[in-house]
Amino acid sequence: MKNRTFILVLSFIIVWSIGPLCWQLYTSFSTPDALINPTIEFTKRWTFDNYKLVLSANPPFWRYLVNSLIVGIISTLITLFIAIPASYSLSKANKIISRISNYYLFGAALFPYVLLFLALLEFARRYNLGNNLLALCIPYSALSMPLAILILTSSFRQIPIEIEEAARIEGLNLIQRLRLILVPLMLPSISSTAILIFLFSWNEYPISLTWISNENLLTLPVAISRIAGSSVYSIPYGAFAAATVVGSIPLLLIVLIFQKQIVSGLMQGAVKG
Amino acid sequence: MINLLLLPAFTLILIVFIIPIIRYGWISLHSFSLATNLSLIPNQFANWDRLLNDSRFWVDIYQTTRFAFVSVFLEIILAMIIALTLNKHFNNRGIIRTISLLPWALPTTIMALGWRWIFNAPYGPIEQLIRILGLAELNILSNPNFTWIATVIADVWKTTPFIAIILLAGLQTIPKDLYEAFKLEGGTYFDSFKEITLPLLKPYISLSIIFRLAQAFGVFDLIQVITSGGPAGSTESIALYAYLNAMRFLDFGYSSTIMVASFILLILLILVINLSIYSGKKILSTIKL
Repeated sequence: MKNRTFILVLSFIIVWSIGPLCWQLYTSFSTPDALINPTIEFTKRWTFDNYKLVLSANPPFWRYLVNSLIVGIISTLITLFIAIPASYSLSKANKIISRISNYYLFGAALFPYVLLFLALLEFARRYNLGNNLLALCIPYSALSMPLAILILTSSFRQIPIEIEEAARIEGLNLIQRLRLILVPLMLPSISSTAILIFLFSWNEYPISLTWISNENLLTLPVAISRIAGSSVYSIPYGAFAAATVVGSIPLLLIVLIFQKQIVSGLMQGAVKG
Repeated sequence: MINLLLLPAFTLILIVFIIPIIRYGWISLHSFSLATNLSLIPNQFANWDRLLNDSRFWVDIYQTTRFAFVSVFLEIILAMIIALTLNKHFNNRGIIRTISLLPWALPTTIMALGWRWIFNAPYGPIEQLIRILGLAELNILSNPNFTWIATVIADVWKTTPFIAIILLAGLQTIPKDLYEAFKLEGGTYFDSFKEITLPLLKPYISLSIIFRLAQAFGVFDLIQVITSGGPAGSTESIALYAYLNAMRFLDFGYSSTIMVASFILLILLILVINLSIYSGKKILSTIKL
């Protein structure tokens, strides 16, 4: 590509990716009048009212952030706790088992999980799991499990067998080997898997929508969509833009800090999966 | 013995993925709604009969498939451009990579609302731009001919980064010397793209196509938030119709039937795509899990 084309493409990527976000940011600081009349004078144009409204709402908006944080962290921990031993054993399994397991996992990872919501709702009703943030972590862990195992198995396979043999000769049992030798070696891919699981749980919508009805327990995506209400014209756009900005900040931070891990996690999933 | 460690994970997946599908199949052979006092009453194939004659279901299948194909097609092209760009060495590549990843990381519902505001008539930026250009108003969210395009744009924006990263992973497996050799032979950039990049990226492209088609076929939150299926049902997806049947009409029997049917159609769709990409060879053996 020639230099000028390259810069053109680069600018397009930047504008396309963050243009909509900038518009949200602009909206969140605009007065209702400014949104309707772009030629309004400067003093009547900017405001913090939208943020005040969002942060003083009842229940306060940060509650949803905390709810999503709780669900995200616990789901991630549960998934890793189950997926790490499973991936370890899958990396050691014989050809037939690993072939069958891969079909099973790949099929599940491919499945549009939205279609599961009704059966999961029945499940929640039968075992009384509705309106419970911890219970919500069960389906979240299960839904992230296939991808987590696929990624982790491939990185277990990359660890040279000699390392584990040496530890075995030193007299370490399986749990010790995992905890002291293998998991520390795999920390990069474990952390990228963790971030992928966290992002999924933070963003999940249909199951949270059907399992949680208590106002105080809503997760962020459901709370935000409730702001949208029903009519296209009655939405308080300034306020909801402020809500989306506040709701995006934790994720922006995660992406900024863990950009490398996210990319390498996805890439590993792609190359090996 | 060590295979026992797989058990907890596989049981969890069984409970959450496999048992629901079996359960749907079972429910779809029964009347199960408020009218039956929420008990299962066998009704032979009444649900399936209704499904075959339900034009709303078939319209939704058409709309969902159209949405999925157009979105994934645009996503692949755009993702290819982004991946090729990010594969080059330039200053601040990390920042650009982070920026291009952002849409994917944000919750769908959040940015779906954002897009709804962007497409808003008459105050959204698009309508304002159109007005400045002196063109007629589009009213994109209230015109049944256009609204689905708005949902496609929002979906493309949201999921392109994901595909771009997969393609980028593929690009980085291609040895640079291949391009050097091609250049020495006098090939142009576009020739080398056609002769080297595309063939070697094929597994990654087909992985993305299959994965994204399956996900797009189940599109739900995006549509629910931007249009709620409107105007006049012109953007309603299968998942949304199943959701409405269960949660609004409280007809769980019919909702389950829709899910089983869309599941079967999805498998057929993936098989057809597989066959057309690989002319007979199975994708799973090609990708080498």
